[in-house]
Amino acid sequence: MGPGEQAETVIDLRGIQKWFDDNHVLRGVDLTVTRGEHVCVFGPSGSGKSTLLRTINLLEEPQRGSVRILGVEYGPGVDGEVGRGRAPAKQLRQHVGMVFQQFNLFPHMTVLDNVAIALRRVRGVDRAEAEERAARQLRRVGLLQKVSAYPSQLSGGQQQRVAIARALVLDPDVMLFDEPTSALDPELVGEVLGAMRDLAETGMTMVVVTHEMGFAREIGDQNVFMDEGVIVEQGGREIYTDSREARTRDFIRAVL
Amino acid sequence: MSAATVVLAQQVVTFSPKVILDNLDLLWDGVQLTVLVSVISFGIATFLGVFVALARMSERRAVATFAAGYINILRSIPLLVFIVFIYYGVAIYFGLTFATGIQAGIFAFSLQYSAWLGEIFRSGIQAVPKGQREAAMAVGMGPVRTFVTVILPQAVRVAIPPTGNMMVGMVKDSALLYVIGVQELFRNAQLLANRTFRYFEIYLAIVVIYLVLTTTVYYGMKFLEQRLRPVDVLASVERRFAPLERRRRERLRTLRDRIAAEAPPTRIVAPEATP
Ligand SMILES: Nc1ncnc2c1ncn2[C@@H]1O[C@H](COP(=O)(O)OP(=O)(O)OP(=O)(O)O)[C@@H](O)[C@H]1O
Ligand SMILES: [Mg+2]
Repeated sequence: MGPGEQAETVIDLRGIQKWFDDNHVLRGVDLTVTRGEHVCVFGPSGSGKSTLLRTINLLEEPQRGSVRILGVEYGPGVDGEVGRGRAPAKQLRQHVGMVFQQFNLFPHMTVLDNVAIALRRVRGVDRAEAEERAARQLRRVGLLQKVSAYPSQLSGGQQQRVAIARALVLDPDVMLFDEPTSALDPELVGEVLGAMRDLAETGMTMVVVTHEMGFAREIGDQNVFMDEGVIVEQGGREIYTDSREARTRDFIRAVL
Repeated sequence: MSAATVVLAQQVVTFSPKVILDNLDLLWDGVQLTVLVSVISFGIATFLGVFVALARMSERRAVATFAAGYINILRSIPLLVFIVFIYYGVAIYFGLTFATGIQAGIFAFSLQYSAWLGEIFRSGIQAVPKGQREAAMAVGMGPVRTFVTVILPQAVRVAIPPTGNMMVGMVKDSALLYVIGVQELFRNAQLLANRTFRYFEIYLAIVVIYLVLTTTVYYGMKFLEQRLRPVDVLASVERRFAPLERRRRERLRTLRDRIAAEAPPTRIVAPEATP
């Protein structure tokens, strides 16, 4: 990037508010993510991290706020009136890949089909090419030898790497990770973080909700501490060593 | 001691399977009709059942309530009563004439079984974790695609054993159609027995035939369940000799070996720009 050149904005959230019935879960969140940036989100349980991440690909629909992806509005708008020219969620999901805490692989499909299915059924790629691209993507996460296996035959770490391949094969502009290692046995965490680290090094734009503070410290360009539905503090790596807010300090001390 | 008892006793003593062999064609006709009625009714009931399940889960209250009523009412009526009600009651009252008892029977079976199957399918669909739907949506599938590609195949696996039980039930229940004169297996056996007085041989024969039919259904379902089990198609010994899968195995092996041989052994890199 040359001097004075602005990095492209991939995600732009403005005034996101979300209620589950009376429970006001997101109370006005703003977040901007530029291309190539790695954002780590942390905070106590129930603070709204998952909900925030899920609003980015509209798995949760906020009642208020603007959800702009690559400049296109998908949200209801800042004051809650439906944004004019609001684009469909399906279009948004072409740009945003997601990796879940529980992997959520399709258990009735082979590993290869898990990765190839969306290419075939959503993108209309023919079978031979879809399978080839899927196999290449699996090779990159070190699981080519498992093409013919089913998810139930894989370890948690392998399943999560398949899930990463499943999202990557669609060539997303940004990848969302919701606590991708917290369902894993401790000895399997490393292989998944390794794959994510490699991915970060390629310059993929990433938003990661995680309690792995070491990892966050390593890749986090922008680090966001959430509590009770608001962003309490955000900043660079210094947030982990000398945060301004007492709440952030307390939380970091508690998890480390 | 009455004459009839004496006759019966004699017949038990002189067990004579010849009467079966002499009337195989009549029994065979009955078997065919039993199978035909069961298969058609079950097919229609399955089709209706999917919609009953979807309606029952509908977000529209009116639709869900209607479906719940449909299920509860149909399940509460004894099947025998329902068959008679449809054939005599409804037909006469509304002046509908079912051309045959077969049609009335298929109608009654399809409706009542659609209620039972609807509930089975609903619990199958609800057994699929909600993360599956989310994962499908996240890769860009719409609601219909998600249902067909991700939810339904998993629901089917859950629903196979209870659906198999229903299918066995259908074969057995088809005997109830004797009351409206349908010449299925049981009815033909009755006619034959009344004519020949060989009650024991004939009823024993149809007991065996029902056993064969239901066992066939049972093992058919077992086979299906077995086929749908997630087993590594390349690595498992179990699948090595499955002839139907030979081409799939070949394709996977070729693909795997070809990609493995490709040039740079990159780990994760940004996916290449689509051409
Ligand atoms: N589908 C839902 N329906 C109702 N309430 C929900 C739903 N999802 C989340 N919530 C509520 O929203 C709040 C925030 O939940 P969220 O999952 O976003 O928290 P989190 O920060 O991700 O927590 P954790 O660290 O435990 O994953 C919680 O109070 C939760 O109970
Ligand atoms: Mg969460």
